[in-house]
Order: sequence, then structure tokens, then C-alpha cells
Amino acid sequence: MSGFAYQGPELLRERVAAALQNVVDPEIALSIVDVGLVYGVTVDDEQTTVKMTMTSQACPVTETIVDDVEWELGRVLPDGSAVEVLLCWDPPWTPGMMSERARRFMAW
Amino acid sequence: MDTRDDERARTPLHGVVIDRDARRLLGLAAGLTLFVAVAGGLGRAGLGVPGAGWHGPLMLGSFFGGVIALERAVALRAGWAYTVPAAALLAGALRVAGLADAAAWLGVAAAAGFVAMNALLLKRDPVTHTALLGVAALAWLAAQWSAAIGAGDPLPWWFAFPVLTVAAERLEMTRLMRRRPAAAPLLALAVAVIVTAAARGSALAYGAGLMALAAWLGVFDIARRTVRARGLPRYMAVCLLSGYAWLAVSGLAWIGMAFGCPGRDLALHALGLGFLMAMVMGHAPVVLPAVTRLKAQFSAAFYAPLVLLQLSLGLRFGGWLQAGALLNAATLALFAATMLHAAWRWNHRWTTQASS
Repeated sequence: MSGFAYQGPELLRERVAAALQNVVDPEIALSIVDVGLVYGVTVDDEQTTVKMTMTSQACPVTETIVDDVEWELGRVLPDGSAVEVLLCWDPPWTPGMMSERARRFMAW
Repeated sequence: MDTRDDERARTPLHGVVIDRDARRLLGLAAGLTLFVAVAGGLGRAGLGVPGAGWHGPLMLGSFFGGVIALERAVALRAGWAYTVPAAALLAGALRVAGLADAAAWLGVAAAAGFVAMNALLLKRDPVTHTALLGVAALAWLAAQWSAAIGAGDPLPWWFAFPVLTVAAERLEMTRLMRRRPAAAPLLALAVAVIVTAAARGSALAYGAGLMALAAWLGVFDIARRTVRARGLPRYMAVCLLSGYAWLAVSGLAWIGMAFGCPGRDLALHALGLGFLMAMVMGHAPVVLPAVTRLKAQFSAAFYAPLVLLQLSLGLRFGGWLQAGALLNAATLALFAATMLHAAWRWNHRWTTQASS
């Protein structure tokens, strides 16, 4: 399974996907999209909402990842568009959510 | 999309905004604690610096305890949790001030608070690696308690706390690889040996447990994959793998001690420096920015303190204890300088010629 649910202008779909692909967890050298952490993105006129999770609730780097998501999306969205990240723990992340590329890198 | 149960990543918790200045202050206090602890270490090596008596408690109790508890407080996103690293670091200050009893009991309180933090975490996320973090927290409490009441040997418990914390975090990472059913039970076995050995004061079993853990990490850890990446992930993997080798050496030295072989310095510092400091150096470029909210730009310069660490350990264990200890201290100073330089590079990334 790869990718994430996207709701919003088709024009922005690829740009949003590419932006999120740039957000990498440095400990594992994989993007949050490839790991399967991004559950969904909704873009409307005023706000972009990202629903995502982390592999563990014990991890202190969550805020850093959220910072990067906001920064990368800020670069591709129209000026003035707000970004809100929602952390979602249900359903919890499972290895099955990893993309094909991620599995190849981890030698599945 | 029902958003009621999701957390807004930016919402202040319980009406209190987590003050990044408080986090930075705690980070600074941890750095200062490390400096004083290392000075004490040089004293223990006979280099005429005061503080030989506080090297162990400051390093294992205050520094590692403070840093690990601070990370966990950031992850928990609960204001009260910051009192735990604060207490651990304050206990260090009390010890340096000569108030050993107060320091010891404040340390016990800090560890008890840390167990509570981990209980909360386990309630939120009842999975194996979180339970192992809880076991590590209990090891810290056992060490603090043992030291406070002056019974038993707290040393194996002191080390078990950061060692098992690392094991738990690496176990969490293994989920990214293809599931191997043997991994969790084998780790549970290594952990059981370490914990039982600490409880019974068996150097032989403790060393065997450390070696078993090193073998487990060598076989199951994702560092074997991420070392093939580039940049920061590769650097982290190199730190991890070098650390695992020293963990095995430490285990062997611990077994040697059980048979009367001289090797206490090797056992303790292969573990404390070769393994634990390599973990710190590997994770700091990611965790320090996460905790302090100060970004840093990674570069190949980070390899220099790692290489120096290996050289300094070779010198120390090769028979030149004092020269080695001095070089160990220089390694940590170089690492601190490298981190500061990385923060500076980030701030100036648009105004300087980029060179990687």
C-alpha cells in the first residue's frame, strides 16, 4: 500500500505529494509517505489539513517532522494558505502501510 | 474524517504551552552536567581534577537520566513530565555541592517520576517496545534506590537503564524490516539475562547478557540497511554499528572480571564511551534539534569526533589510561563544537557558499 487519501484541487495533488515526499525521517532514511505515516491530506480554500501518525508515541522527533511537513507544504501551497497537522493514533501505524520502495530499501 | 479524537499537533496541552526555553535550559543543564561529570572522570584517572567521587553518579544518574527523561517528556507532551529531568539534573548539582544524601533521595524521586511517565506511555501505547522502556525505567529506579540505601551494587542497574532504553528504541525500529518472529523472544531473553544478572550481582551473566544484546543488535537492527544510505542516516548507522562492537567488548570484559581478569576500566568504558556515547553522538543531530527547537545542518564533519572516539578508546585500553582519558574528554568537546557549528551552518545556510 502506498500513497495517501487526497481531497482537494487536482492541480495541487502532485505538488502536495512531492512536498511530503521530501519529509524524511533521518533515522531510517525514508520519507514519511514511503513509511506510510500520512493518512490523508485535505486542501480547501483556507486551509490544508494533514492527518498523520508516527511509528511510536515515545518518539521526541514528532515535532521536528511536523515542522518539516508545515515548511514543505508552505512552499507549494498558495500564499496565505494555513497548514494544520493532526496527529492520529487510530488506526495505529503498522508495517503493512509501507510503500513498495520502502520495503525494497529495508530488504523485505 | 472524524477529527475529534485526533490531536492537533500544535495545540497547547492542558492549557499550558510547553515552553521551549524551559527545554533549552534543561538541555543546557544536561550539557553542564556532562562537562562536570567528565572532569570528575579525569580526576578518577588521576589527572588531578576534583570530582572523582561524583563521576559515576553524575554520568549515569544525572546526565543519562536527565537526557533520556527529557526526550521522553518531549514525546509525552505533558508539562508535569519536565520535573523529572529537572530533578535528575538538580540531584547532580546537589552531589557536586556535597549534599550526597539529598542528591541520592532526589535521584530516587526522579526515577520514580520517570517510572510514572513510562506507565502513562504504556497505557497510551501498549506495545512491546514501550514495555521495555518501562523495564529500563525500573532499572534506573533500582539503581537510585540501591545507591540511596547503600545496599547491593548499583552499577549494573545504572548501566542497564540506558542500555535497555537503547534496546527498546532499536526494537521499535525493527518493525520497519520484514517481520522475523525470533527477534522479540530473543531480545526478551537477552534482557532477562541482564536484569537477572543485575539483581543477583553476577558479572558473568551480566557480561553474557551484554554480548547477547550486541549479537541481537548486529543481526536484527536496521543499521545494517541504513548504513547503505547517504548523509545523516549513514552516519547514524556507523555510530550504531561501532557502538554494538564496543557493547560486545564490554560484555567480554565483564565476563573476564568474573574470572578475576583485570578489566574493570575496559568493561565500564567500552560500555559507557564506546557504546553509550556513540549512541549519543549518533542521535544528537536529530534529537537535540527536536528537543531544543534549534535546527542543525549535518555534514561529514560529524565523523571526526566519532573517529577520535575510536582512537581515544584504543589509547585508553591499550595501556595509556591517562592519555586516553584526556583524549576521550577532547572527543566529547569536539563533538559539542561540531554540534554548535552545525547549528551555525543552518542559520547561515543562505548566506554562505554551500559546501558539503
